[in-house]
Amino acid sequence: MRRLRLFGPVLCAAALAAAASSAAERVHAASAAQPALLGIWVPDAAPRRLLTSDGQTPPLTAQAAKLYDERRQLLAHGDASFDPTSWCAGPGMPRILTMQYPFEIRADAKRVVFIHAWYRWFRVVDLGPGAVDPPLPLTMGFPVGHWEADTLVIRTVGLIDTTVMDASGLPHSEQLTLTERLHVGPDGRLEDRITIDDPQNYTQPWETVLTFHRDARARVGDDVCPDRLARGEPAEQVPPAGAAQHPRPARAAPGPLAGTAATPEAGAAAGAPHLAGIWEPKIFGILVPGAPLSAAGQEIVNRNAAAMQSGRIMQTAWVSCRPGAVSTMTMPREKIVILQSADEVTLLFEMPRFVRRVRLNGTHPAKLEPSYAGDSVGHWEGGTLVVDSRGFNGLAELDARGQPTSPKLHTVERFTPSADGASIDIETTVEDPEYYTHPFVIKRSWKASAARHPFEFDCMENPRQEDFENAYYIREQYRPVCMRVEGEGMAPSKMVCGRKP
Amino acid sequence: MRAKVRMNSLLPWIVATCFAAKAAAHHSTAEFDYTKQVTIKGAVKEVQWTNPHSYIQLMVDGEDGAKSQWSVEIGSPSLNVNMGWRKDSVKAGDLVSMVVSPARNGKHYGTLRVLTFADGHKLEGIAAKVGAGPGPGAPAGGPPKPPAAATAP
Repeated sequence: MRRLRLFGPVLCAAALAAAASSAAERVHAASAAQPALLGIWVPDAAPRRLLTSDGQTPPLTAQAAKLYDERRQLLAHGDASFDPTSWCAGPGMPRILTMQYPFEIRADAKRVVFIHAWYRWFRVVDLGPGAVDPPLPLTMGFPVGHWEADTLVIRTVGLIDTTVMDASGLPHSEQLTLTERLHVGPDGRLEDRITIDDPQNYTQPWETVLTFHRDARARVGDDVCPDRLARGEPAEQVPPAGAAQHPRPARAAPGPLAGTAATPEAGAAAGAPHLAGIWEPKIFGILVPGAPLSAAGQEIVNRNAAAMQSGRIMQTAWVSCRPGAVSTMTMPREKIVILQSADEVTLLFEMPRFVRRVRLNGTHPAKLEPSYAGDSVGHWEGGTLVVDSRGFNGLAELDARGQPTSPKLHTVERFTPSADGASIDIETTVEDPEYYTHPFVIKRSWKASAARHPFEFDCMENPRQEDFENAYYIREQYRPVCMRVEGEGMAPSKMVCGRKP
Repeated sequence: MRAKVRMNSLLPWIVATCFAAKAAAHHSTAEFDYTKQVTIKGAVKEVQWTNPHSYIQLMVDGEDGAKSQWSVEIGSPSLNVNMGWRKDSVKAGDLVSMVVSPARNGKHYGTLRVLTFADGHKLEGIAAKVGAGPGPGAPAGGPPKPPAAATAP
């Protein structure tokens, strides 16, 4: 009887969905309803524990129930080590939607992108036809979407099983299929109705509902989780019960990251060259040779080289999982997703994981709070996008030698797509009088990728003890708070937090 | 001519570093000695299919019958997939032998060159591409090393 009560709403929802599906054409492209979804959304409730849509505990299998009980016991004693977010690793799905952080939806004709306010995570939903065959499991999986009337339907497979479904530790396997139905209701709220199908952990599919609202104060800034850990703060900000239902805006959120209006690709400036799509570097460049180092810059590079030549692992901002935007200019690796609209070019980097927002035809604010991302404004000069960036915090290095940057760093990037759309050439002029005697140019080139999704780089996923035993820390704040320590004999490895070697 | 000779002497370093950059992709490869190769055999205890690096924990049979645990860095998920691996290519309990370049600190730690299963089929680690030349980050006294080629991000 309980099964029927529990699954009844799911069956009804599924039947209604099927009916709707047959009545509404599946559209694998941008829909007229798409603009309603765009912009920043704030969780209504951000539940720590997911329940079914009728308020029941999900239908766990006996084995999953045992695991869940063990996790609940740990949590009762303040141990959340089963949740990778506790050491700043990827939250996974749907865990990231249960966090008390806003997200922004942007889109173009081929994909919908969720940009989350927690530690630079993003999710790229491909709107193309056909299923995907995930070659490896990822934190965010391989989401594929289509429109059914005013509802965006997203089916996600390929979700890695080391994440949890919610903060209470609901488990899932890599057999999990998530089906989300998103639409904006008459009250202006975004509803995400999620069906969880994971026969390894649940006796039947079940459904949960998350809702979100708009808030003009909400911001999606450049959040750097390991810096929070280094300051002794929790990885995830959780407001006390009864507090406002969203955290303060992420610190150091400069203008361009602050809730710019999302606009679909249809709004791209007429005649502007086409940068949108998925790209990948033609080569993986890790070095910036010939930079005109000043005496101060050379001294730092010499110090780094001496440490490396002694066999030590240099812990830079990049290696310690807090790269700056300048790292995306000099050392991008793997896929880059670009969305383009009339007022913004958005660049989503797989590795290092980074979200860059370029505000078009704007100016820098008079007062900039220094940040890893800096403040980027752009304009078109014929067939070239020119991006001017300032307001950096001076914590990022130019390359793998640890060539330094300072808050005086100023970059001008020129993105020129080829006439056939197969590649983009990028020339970046770097100016930083603190460490370089004169401005210099770095050249990179990207080629179009046939991929439907980027993979992802979960830099904080596995901080192995060995990586820190013989480390050279460019800054003390890069010392790890959490490390994975191997177990003796057949004892499993475990994450240990609070150690600073 | 002098310039050409210098470039030739640096070429192995540059080649090694390019591959090593791919191999590490996240941090320095300086901790491993690419001039050495060690073969270890045993049962897989655990596979950590993780970023920034994946690992295989191997329980190695010693000559005296005692077992010791080795940690072997094998690449990263995206890198390994591009080389033909899948998440379940290696599983706990598999009996394998591995050729690794060991850590310079002498611990039971290394980076994978080649893994061979009991039935003879093999999987290559990215370090297999580095060759037997001195790897990036070798201690001073080795062949000349361009300072610009010392590490990967």
